[in-house]
Amino acid sequence: MTRIASSTAVQIRQLSYFFGQGDLRKQVLYDIDLDLPRGQIVIMTGPSGSGKTTLLTLIGALRTVQQGSLQVLDQEIVGLSRAALVTVRRNIGFIFQAHNLFESLTASQNVEMAVELLDRWGDKRQKAVQMLSQLGLADRVDYKPSALSGGQKQRVAIARALVNQPALVLADEPTAALDKQSGREVVTLMQELAKSQGKTILMVTHDNRILDVADRIITLVDGRLETDESLAS
Amino acid sequence: MVRFSQFVRRTPLAWFNLTYERRRLLTSLAGVAFSVLLMFIFRGFENALYDSQVQLLKLLNGDVVLISPLKNNMFVPEQIARQRLYQAQAYAGVEAAYPLYTTTAYWKNPETRRTRPLRVIAFNLSDPVLQLPGITESLRQLQMPWTALLDQRSRPEVGSGAAGTLTEVDEQQIKVVGSFELGTDFASGNGNVVMSDQNFLRYFGRLGPDEDSRDLSTIDLGLLKLAPDQAPDVLARTLSEALPKDVKVMTKAEFVEQELNYWRENTSIGFVFSLLAVMSFAVGIILVYQILYTDISDHWSEYATLKAMGYSNLYLLGVVIQEAVILAVMGFIPGCLVSAGLYKLTANATGLLMQMTQTRIINLFIATVLMCLISGAIAVRKVQTADPAEVFGL
Repeated sequence: MTRIASSTAVQIRQLSYFFGQGDLRKQVLYDIDLDLPRGQIVIMTGPSGSGKTTLLTLIGALRTVQQGSLQVLDQEIVGLSRAALVTVRRNIGFIFQAHNLFESLTASQNVEMAVELLDRWGDKRQKAVQMLSQLGLADRVDYKPSALSGGQKQRVAIARALVNQPALVLADEPTAALDKQSGREVVTLMQELAKSQGKTILMVTHDNRILDVADRIITLVDGRLETDESLAS
Repeated sequence: MVRFSQFVRRTPLAWFNLTYERRRLLTSLAGVAFSVLLMFIFRGFENALYDSQVQLLKLLNGDVVLISPLKNNMFVPEQIARQRLYQAQAYAGVEAAYPLYTTTAYWKNPETRRTRPLRVIAFNLSDPVLQLPGITESLRQLQMPWTALLDQRSRPEVGSGAAGTLTEVDEQQIKVVGSFELGTDFASGNGNVVMSDQNFLRYFGRLGPDEDSRDLSTIDLGLLKLAPDQAPDVLARTLSEALPKDVKVMTKAEFVEQELNYWRENTSIGFVFSLLAVMSFAVGIILVYQILYTDISDHWSEYATLKAMGYSNLYLLGVVIQEAVILAVMGFIPGCLVSAGLYKLTANATGLLMQMTQTRIINLFIATVLMCLISGAIAVRKVQTADPAEVFGL
């Protein structure tokens, strides 16, 4: 495949979003314009209730866009059917505040669940183990989540999000449930993987300790894009 | 083939989720097994009550049956003239005719000295009327006066019927010379006694002034054995038209059907037990639904994560349905085994015919799978509403 992807991972134009209907209809996002170039690590901050998570779920094709234009990985997702949205999601890695791992599955099996989405059956175990090893969990591959620490669980979740080499990773407060040291470790690992594989990361966080990994910090206040500053790295 | 290999290699999430918590799995399986057990027991009783009514009828060695038109079930003590049987014997195609005498008599338990009504079945010992093990071997002993065989599957209150036991029937001494196995039904009450027609005459031929004495000129049931090439229904029709109206001629199948119909139409057995079985089925649905629903609630955010990752609703539906089927299969096996044990126990205690037939096992297995699938279908609606956007916890 020599198709040259455009240099933008996410392109948002005049995006507005409303919750509720009729008299209770409340606008949460106002005319957002945003471009995320490929390979950039972007941190999104802002007070709670400012619409950060809503924007993240819209980009993640988890909600239907109501107004405006939203292109994710060169595909316009406005007007896509639910089944098509499912396909778009397969190219995105999600990391949540909670690890959301199946307690009944081992670390490797949890990661393999993601590999199976690509219909890769022969080497799924191998791929899962390799990914976990990159995150420093080579000796924890066959442990169940209950036998892992909080930081280790979050690293398994990251392995699950990254194992399919998604071009875009969306993370919602990935360090909120971790102590300072594990949080730092997790974010550094994400940064290294993103840089080495040219991934775009959009991370929502309130955690000031990890802002330094970002190439760019955007702030959302009351549904509007307030500041957008690039950090010299 | 590609589909199948995918299925084999896919991480068996349903299995892992169900078996992760052993204790919960065991209680779940116990629940499924219990509703399986209830269905087995109620179906078993229903059929036992029906089957027991006709087990003697089915064993009688004859193709065509002659009875009184008033005898619409085995309870009715109406006789026909033995004459009619011999008239029928004259028709072409009839090879043999056997008279059968029955009555109810009070049997004294030799240990407790209490009496209980039993059904007495008597016939000419040279006629192969009831070819049961125990009866065919004891024909010589039965020729002795004041002897009889006792049904081993009579109710235990009747007392021991070991060979050599001396007791009383209708206050006349009787010697038990052997035993056979038949079992109780509504008409027989507590059990059965088999004796020769000569002994029948000895015991019931000279009753007191208040009771109807019996003799061998009236019979309770006439059995006709036909030539192998003679169709029973044709001959039964011919005889019905030819013989006087004081006798009813039926094929054995019709006779059995008449008895079953009587119990079906005059008792609530069918309705009651079907209702109970349906209720056990409904309880099973609710139970399995609870189990599946708990699993879904406990893994709510994980299932939503799977949806966010790109798994379709169809996949989640598959997981829940697989869990339902696993519960059905794993719960059915112990339920079926315990039921088999209880069938045996019930059969021994009551003498009812409790049969664990292959058809019933298959039918109830299908019912169990159906039960779990219905629960799965209700529970899966919850997973489908799992909104992946919710996981981000707004």
